[in-house]
Amino acid sequence: MSTREERERIELLQGTLDLLILRTLLFGPAHGHAIAKAIERNSQNVLQVEQGSLYPALHRLIRRGWISAEAGTSENNRRAKYYRLTAQGRKQLNIERTKWGKLAGAIARILRPAEQQRSEP
Amino acid sequence: MKRRKRMLEELDQDILDHIEAETQDNIARGMPPEEARYAARRAFGNTALVKEDVREVWGWQWLERLGQDLRYGLRTLAKAPALSVVVVLSLALGIGANIAIFSLIDAVMLRMLPVKDPQQLVLLSSHQTKPVHGGPGYSGYGISLSYSGFERLRRQNEVFSSVIGFVPLGFDPESVTVNIDGQPSLAGGEMVSGNYFAGLGVPALVGRPLTNEDEERVTRVTVLSYGYWTRQFGRDPAVVGKTITLGGQPHTIVGVAPPEFFGVEPGRAPDFWVPLADEPGLTPWSVQPPKGQSLFTDKQWWWLMIMGRLKPGVSPEQARAAMEVWLRQTLTGDLGLSQPDAQAFVIKLEPASRGLDSLRGEFSQPLMILMGVVGLVLLIACANVAGLLLARAQARRKEIAVRLALGASRARLVRQLLTESLMLAAAGGLCGTAFAGWGARVLLILMSGGASLPLELHFNLKIVAFAAAVSMLTGVLFGLAPSLGSTRLSVGPTLKESASGASQRPHGPRWRLGKSLVAAQVAFTLLLVTGAGLFVRTLINLEHQDLGFDPHGVVLFGVNPTQNGYDGPRLIALYDRLLQRIQALPGVRTASLSAYTLMSGWVNSAPIAVEGGQTKPDQNAIVLWNLVGPDFLNTMRIRLLLGRGIGEQDTATSPRVAVVNQSLARKYFGNLDPLGRSFTFGNTFKADEAYEIVGVVKDAKFDNMRGEVPLTAYVPFSQSGLTGPMHFEVRTAGDPTLLIPSLRRAVREVDSNLALSEVKTQSQQIDEALVQEKLFALLASFFGGLALALAAIGLYGTMTYTVGRRTSEIGIRMALGAKQSQILRMVLGEAFTLVLIGAALGLPLALAAARLVASKLYGLKASDPLTFSAAIGLQLAVATLAAYLPARRASRVDPMVALRFE
Repeated sequence: MSTREERERIELLQGTLDLLILRTLLFGPAHGHAIAKAIERNSQNVLQVEQGSLYPALHRLIRRGWISAEAGTSENNRRAKYYRLTAQGRKQLNIERTKWGKLAGAIARILRPAEQQRSEP
Repeated sequence: MKRRKRMLEELDQDILDHIEAETQDNIARGMPPEEARYAARRAFGNTALVKEDVREVWGWQWLERLGQDLRYGLRTLAKAPALSVVVVLSLALGIGANIAIFSLIDAVMLRMLPVKDPQQLVLLSSHQTKPVHGGPGYSGYGISLSYSGFERLRRQNEVFSSVIGFVPLGFDPESVTVNIDGQPSLAGGEMVSGNYFAGLGVPALVGRPLTNEDEERVTRVTVLSYGYWTRQFGRDPAVVGKTITLGGQPHTIVGVAPPEFFGVEPGRAPDFWVPLADEPGLTPWSVQPPKGQSLFTDKQWWWLMIMGRLKPGVSPEQARAAMEVWLRQTLTGDLGLSQPDAQAFVIKLEPASRGLDSLRGEFSQPLMILMGVVGLVLLIACANVAGLLLARAQARRKEIAVRLALGASRARLVRQLLTESLMLAAAGGLCGTAFAGWGARVLLILMSGGASLPLELHFNLKIVAFAAAVSMLTGVLFGLAPSLGSTRLSVGPTLKESASGASQRPHGPRWRLGKSLVAAQVAFTLLLVTGAGLFVRTLINLEHQDLGFDPHGVVLFGVNPTQNGYDGPRLIALYDRLLQRIQALPGVRTASLSAYTLMSGWVNSAPIAVEGGQTKPDQNAIVLWNLVGPDFLNTMRIRLLLGRGIGEQDTATSPRVAVVNQSLARKYFGNLDPLGRSFTFGNTFKADEAYEIVGVVKDAKFDNMRGEVPLTAYVPFSQSGLTGPMHFEVRTAGDPTLLIPSLRRAVREVDSNLALSEVKTQSQQIDEALVQEKLFALLASFFGGLALALAAIGLYGTMTYTVGRRTSEIGIRMALGAKQSQILRMVLGEAFTLVLIGAALGLPLALAAARLVASKLYGLKASDPLTFSAAIGLQLAVATLAAYLPARRASRVDPMVALRFE
């Protein structure tokens, strides 16, 4: 069933994006554009997030109570919406981070032998 | 709502801010402003999609989309008003017909009796597998059981918590003379055991119900039905305690039954109930036993209907076994039958939760057939609407391609299109419900053949649920194929298509779908048209058959003087007086009387025994007999073949005589002369009860328009000793209905307390006997015509559409030298191919369906070749008409115009 596979893939991406947003907000409140830029910058431009897809993710996190939104002014003195990590979000970040670590480790273990083989000669 | 608007504005602002910030960044990186803005937008992605995704996170999406879809749907439907109206109307007809038939099915077949725990009730009945010497006689064969057996059963039984006995007071719906404050009228009543109301669990609305004490102490009381109370007494509660005369006996009204309680037989609502009592005046079935005898003591005569309420924990099978033992005991004990003879009787216990099934028996099969017919009509309407929507979807290809290109998902578009279909279906369903309320009432009138059937048509939850379900199903059915089909397109080529769409292949998958829809319509229509043909021809065959008597110009009515105290010689003298008085009326040609009028459905039946035992080996032949007055055969114009008819000289004191019909004479006497021979009713010949045959008449139908003419005997009413209520036949010179007032006056002049019942002409009586056939012929023709019209619209639409799409192809053909007639033939040929494919698919279906209704046909076979070929011919003719206009348009295409079309 192609639709189900698609959904799983999207969920994986969404989950990852959620994690990245939470991680970014750990440094302090930021507005949407700044979050997008930070993710790009911190991943050394490896992760090319379509900037628009940030917004559904932000609103989802607000709904779950992991971040909150407040009105503020941006650097160039414009009115902008700031997103801030909540205490619950901080906890969630730790959980997600552990989960991610395990997942990444597991995948790495699976992939490693192949890499070793290739690097032998 | 306000909050939602604010949140949406904030989101817009956020996105604008974001893009602005990105633009500034890009400018800072050295891009020219124009390019910077463009790059920022590209980096952001599809803003509309982002907004939609965010709104989905907010969770209003579902409702919002529905609102959008509905608004958008309304706009598109309003843009093509003619199409929408045609669609809604054809759906309304289809859905309405289904609801109408369903509400009748609900009233007749599904509704539970309005009593306590109806599922515990069972109705007892018995039938015999062969004639048995010394077996019981019946009033109401198959439903009636023994009264003496009933008495034993209610004294002692292990399986029923209550045993209820009941019996109508006459065969006719209104057979009891009621006298309220000196005004005679007729009403229908039932005689019931004292536990009737308590056993069924029906309380009285006013006053009290009947009780066991009423039966034991013969209190002469009555409970009125709510309907009768309303009609006769204007719902006056003070009526309790009032005394009225029922069948000549004063009875005190003690209560009124609740409005929803119509007795135990849907469609036959008694006006009053009296306790079972062996008294003159009111007798079961209006049967007048010979002097000095009583139905209540005659163990040989069975006349009581019995219902039982199962004790908790007793299975129907246990009850049946117990009742079988009871039946054997009754047969061997009360009637003195031998064990093997008693084996010929079978007891049946039927669930009575929905009441007695006379109405169900009569109408359940017709209603199921009609349900099938209207189901087909709805299918045709669906196919038709699907075809129309498909054609429109084709016109909307561009719109759909644009929306797909803008990022709408296919599922989203299918949903949008389905919403539109469901809106159409809902509109059709609403209009259809309005149609149905009116249609069901018309149907009820048609079904009852003018007389009113006391059936309540409630608009209940079941019907609403049915209407909603049918509408929704319809919407999905006709909406799914077009919406799936029309969203399966490749965006690029479609967008590049020219407005006319002429570059499209004319044989793509959607076109195939359209064609199969037309073929399906033709197939279903064939089913309905052949059905209509078969039913119409059945009706014609029945109406134009030789009945053996002349029904025209005869008026009929019944009287029941036994309830006014007439019996024996006084009764016969009264009938003579009435007959003389009527014969003397101006405008009367001849008049006579008989126990049963022809085609009333009522008969006496018995085996006969012939003197000298000259019977053929088949002893089980049943003879139908009628008690008739002088001149009956002449009045009904049943032709005399041999000897004489029954006349004035045949009186109570003269020798007993009989006239028989040809079939009877042939069966019992072969080529011998039947005149002068004698027979008796019963299994053995008894010289002192013998009737001498004095005449033979031509075969004439008696009780039934269908089937063979029965073996029939006519005997003088004065000689049978069984004289009870009689019916008069009056042949008039002019319009028989004009004579009715003077007939009433004549009867009143003889005895002012006599009421006339069942006043109608013989032709009306035949019409009533043919109600079902007329109903079928009428409805099948109506729906068949409707189906033809729908199929024609479908074919016309499809052909117009293809011709339009193929304009340039046709132009090229003509430019290359094709003649107009060739193009005309080509298009018509295509339409014909479709019809023939449809007919080929429909023919086996129609043959199978015709076999299902074979029992409803008369005078022709279910596979009647004439009907079938006529139906196919009719379809081809209609198809030619429907396809001719598009074909002519195609043949008039100007090649130059067509080629420049793109």
